[in-house]
Amino acid sequence: MIEIKNLQKFFQIKAKFSNHKTVHAVRNVNLTIPSGGALCLIGESGCGKTTIGRMLCGMENPSSGSIIIDGQDISKLKRGARAKLLQKVQLIHQDPYQALNPTHTIEQMMKATLKKMAKQKKKDADWIRQRMDELLKLVGLDPETILFKYPHMLSGGQRQRVIIARALTVEPEMLIADEVVSMIDVSLRLGILKLLRYLRERHNISILFITHDIASARYLGNDTELYVVYKGMVIERGRTELVIRRPQHPYTQALLSAMPILKGIEKPGKDRFVITSQFRQSEEEPHGCLFADRCPFKQSICDEKRPELIHSDDAYHACFFPKVRQVAAESI
Amino acid sequence: MSDTSTVNTENTFKDQEQKMAISARNINVVYATPTGDIPAVRNVDIDLPKGSITGIIGESGSGKSTLIMAIMNAVTKPGKITSGSVLLNGENDMLKLSSEKQRKIRGKEIGFVFQAAQNSLNPLRRIGQQILDLGRAHEVNDLRKLINYAKKLLIRLGLDADRVLASYQHELSGGMRQRVGIMFSLVLNANIVFLDESTTALDMLSQASVLEIIRELQREKNLTIAFVSHDIGVIADLSERIEIFYAGEIVEEGKTSEVLACPKHPYTKGLIKAIPKISGDIDAAEPLKGSSPDYRTFKQKGCLFYDRCPIRTDSCRDSRPELNITNRDHKVACFRVGANDRD
Repeated sequence: MIEIKNLQKFFQIKAKFSNHKTVHAVRNVNLTIPSGGALCLIGESGCGKTTIGRMLCGMENPSSGSIIIDGQDISKLKRGARAKLLQKVQLIHQDPYQALNPTHTIEQMMKATLKKMAKQKKKDADWIRQRMDELLKLVGLDPETILFKYPHMLSGGQRQRVIIARALTVEPEMLIADEVVSMIDVSLRLGILKLLRYLRERHNISILFITHDIASARYLGNDTELYVVYKGMVIERGRTELVIRRPQHPYTQALLSAMPILKGIEKPGKDRFVITSQFRQSEEEPHGCLFADRCPFKQSICDEKRPELIHSDDAYHACFFPKVRQVAAESI
Repeated sequence: MSDTSTVNTENTFKDQEQKMAISARNINVVYATPTGDIPAVRNVDIDLPKGSITGIIGESGSGKSTLIMAIMNAVTKPGKITSGSVLLNGENDMLKLSSEKQRKIRGKEIGFVFQAAQNSLNPLRRIGQQILDLGRAHEVNDLRKLINYAKKLLIRLGLDADRVLASYQHELSGGMRQRVGIMFSLVLNANIVFLDESTTALDMLSQASVLEIIRELQREKNLTIAFVSHDIGVIADLSERIEIFYAGEIVEEGKTSEVLACPKHPYTKGLIKAIPKISGDIDAAEPLKGSSPDYRTFKQKGCLFYDRCPIRTDSCRDSRPELNITNRDHKVACFRVGANDRD
């Protein structure tokens, strides 16, 4: 089980000719992922969702707050113990074209980590070979045809599968899937999502799914919770289906409205609206609601006070004027 | 104004020729490789009705960008256009014009927005300077007017025009670059615009707003747009007509709503099934079998989709189906369509 409590992250940006700037990338995020569970983080690029993932796997240190893996706070552990604990959490990157070493064959790459595992477990070379075949088969690749290949010989989808197989070599309990399908052809995306779903269902590997595409979050986490993040703050959370059908925060509604409509199969929700203003990292920390500068429904209080995440209607939202709007497309 | 586009699509099949902004016939493109020529585009006929948005869907490596390049006669080596004709507004054949004439048409009449806008902008020159370069290359006399028009377009695209003109490309975000690309394609008043994967690198909200802008500009200026993408969702949202492209051939075409509501070709069916949707039963989503077409697929003798097809028969392996009309202007290239209709 993984717990995140009051997680905060500040980034200092060094500017040459002006004062240093502080970006508040993650604001008081709380979340729990039970073992074998899943959770989806949704938001635009730059909203801090990747930073949450990076902190969770130890690539970034939180400014405050704690990350608790199986009851142990990782910031309180010594280096060795921490590394061992963090082995249970593996990150899968967004870009399968950059995550593989171009000068290593798939075999070399898989072997490198498996050798370490074999040493830990006191197993021999046969075990390594067996395990390699087993893992590649698990992710839907044929070991015979793939082991001798270099990354450039593989398609985007195959690379992402190799990366998942490599992450599985250390027997993790959790995968952080950070935009894993955004660089892959739409027709092959579902294959990767299905694989993640399978790993969760059959191998009890929990998944933190980070994406900007609500539809793929719906596929992966239809029985779990969806967290909508904006400028580092969770602004709405709830069961995935509920958030999609009854979104309360205008930002969630904007995201849902932005989903393309499949003409002939779907009709747009009746309250659909499109936000044209762009995401901007504000120069100064606003006093009011973080979304106020883009919100089409904002009122004067939104600029003055910041709404907190409150519980209402089986879900949580951070908005002074929550209103359910039907923005998601519906089937005809 | 807003209705012109739909009216035009309906007229299309009554009085053909004049209504077509682009009418390409029998286009063949091969790529020369040490192991022989690979047909990247084969016998493609494509019409872009004036004032309409046509979507071209294909996986990566299916030859969809090559097709667009062939329409503009801009295929680079080792590619080669082996046959075909591309009529522009029913008169000029792009494939037969002198290269100087072609150059003038590209830009003035045909605008093009590249897949990665960041790679199509000059990193060493400010956007404003690049507009001037474009103006000079196309012998525009009043460069001041051109800049003013560019500013107007940029504001229309929701950008801070003065800032953008004074910026280098690295100072702009992905969404902004994409918009700058659209501006470049329109600044010389082109009325045919090709958009190649223009929203692929963007996230949801900027994608939605870029699509909205494209739609508005199209209505306003009655543009003819061909939108190329692998994302069936974006195309389904934007386009009126849809062309499903697989391994260098069109396998299905028709009105978007019709093709999506009752897809006939197994590939189209698979594609539609393979996207997670926001509505309906999410567990009904099913991944497409097999992998994207590669050079071996292009060399196949029979139906190109044979390897991945769930309803193939032996005859599909030996001969290739042609694009046939099934219903009004809905065309499909599949032997099994009749048999398949029942399920």
